[in-house]
Amino acid sequence: MHCEVRFPAQWINASRFDLALRASCGPHDPGTFEVTFDVPSGCKIMVEAAIRFLSLANQLAATTRRVRMKFEEGDTGTMGYLNRMGFFDHLAAEVEVLPSRPGYSAAEAHRGGNAALVEIARISKDERDEELPTRLTAALMRSCHTRPDAAELEGAAWTIFAELIDNVFSHSSTVLDGYAALQVYPKGDRLSVAVSDSGLGIMQTLRPTIGKEFPRLTDLSDTQLLVEIFRQGLSRHGPDRGCGLKGSAAKAIKFQAVLDVRLPRQRVVLIPARGAYKVNTADCYDGLPLMWGTHIGFGFRLGG
Amino acid sequence: MLALREIMDRPEGWGRAQGREVYQRLLRSVEESPGTRVFKISMKDVKRVDISFASETVVEIARRYRGSKGFCLIDLTDPDLIENWDAAAARKGQPLLVWEGRTGRLIGAEPTQGCREAFQFALRHPTVRAAEFAESKSDMTIANASMKFKQLWEQGFLLRRESAANSGGVEFVYQRVG
Repeated sequence: MHCEVRFPAQWINASRFDLALRASCGPHDPGTFEVTFDVPSGCKIMVEAAIRFLSLANQLAATTRRVRMKFEEGDTGTMGYLNRMGFFDHLAAEVEVLPSRPGYSAAEAHRGGNAALVEIARISKDERDEELPTRLTAALMRSCHTRPDAAELEGAAWTIFAELIDNVFSHSSTVLDGYAALQVYPKGDRLSVAVSDSGLGIMQTLRPTIGKEFPRLTDLSDTQLLVEIFRQGLSRHGPDRGCGLKGSAAKAIKFQAVLDVRLPRQRVVLIPARGAYKVNTADCYDGLPLMWGTHIGFGFRLGG
Repeated sequence: MLALREIMDRPEGWGRAQGREVYQRLLRSVEESPGTRVFKISMKDVKRVDISFASETVVEIARRYRGSKGFCLIDLTDPDLIENWDAAAARKGQPLLVWEGRTGRLIGAEPTQGCREAFQFALRHPTVRAAEFAESKSDMTIANASMKFKQLWEQGFLLRRESAANSGGVEFVYQRVG
């Protein structure tokens, strides 16, 4: 069966990305052998959605499905925009890009030269890049160093990248690459920090150990458990580990960041409320089309 | 004094794997100074640590030697770094003192309500005896003061050693870390 995912001619954030997926038949469905992603003119994909898109496309290619991306505008418009991010540098070679792949990597050409910054970095399991959180943070600070809260922002961003990326190495159990992404919006008032992997997903990794390590939490739903992961810190390794996500959340909440988590079949959005994260029930979905992995995005409001 | 930067491969301490390597180096340094009871770990030139790295290094070694050796942090002023050390130490229920000059700031675990005053008292002197604390309060017995200090020692807030008491028996001398 052929699955078509059509993106609307709008800015695509994580929410709209999932909307488009839900309207399709499910790219990972057992009966799907071919997947086409339609990207029309006027469609602009924000970085936290772009790395989910990238992860999904690479997952599908790894399952030997035939994967195709059709860019209506050719190599201007969205394709050029994705190229700037480094999207095509990381896209599996097997994925067919129409009309054709960009001739050169715009990300390479423009790296470091843009105040309204956007960048995707590979998290390669084979070769741990020990400088990755530092490099990403340095790129961010080139855009943000004049801010009065620059030092705090730098510390927060570094910790978030460090913790999320380390988690990909420690827990994701997959050979597929993960991705870290960063986008400072042109007006400098918003920042997106996101990490995606194509592993088992937090719940799959954590659930089996809950009964033993945190018996009081066994009856919580997946959504409730996710909240506890960010609020109290939980780990499959027991009560004295698991502070990475909690620590990241603690940094992000200082900037009133919204937290968006996509798991294999579920999406949970947490919003800051009186210094702690709570679930934004209007934006949570269960039973979503399968997408492997854990995809975490922090949307910071930088104000002024 | 132990400079953490000297046993790190780079100025940023990232993740559990790096943390475990540095822990082994910390362990070696500690074992090479068998007579030393208090280790001041300098954060000079350490630009960043994440919570996982902090947890696997100083917090873990402080926990390992709890009761017999003490570890404190010096040359640490960056609030972001302090937060990360605090989160890591709190997770493991490990008290850690951060010293700025002669001022000690406690991060990680906190003493229970009943022991807070005793801890503050101990912080103000290099060493204390239970009798001294009892004397400073109008309604405290030595036995009671002893119990509080013992609890603080067990939980890693203080160190102690045996000493001959004036009365001819044995008493404990409690020591702040740093």
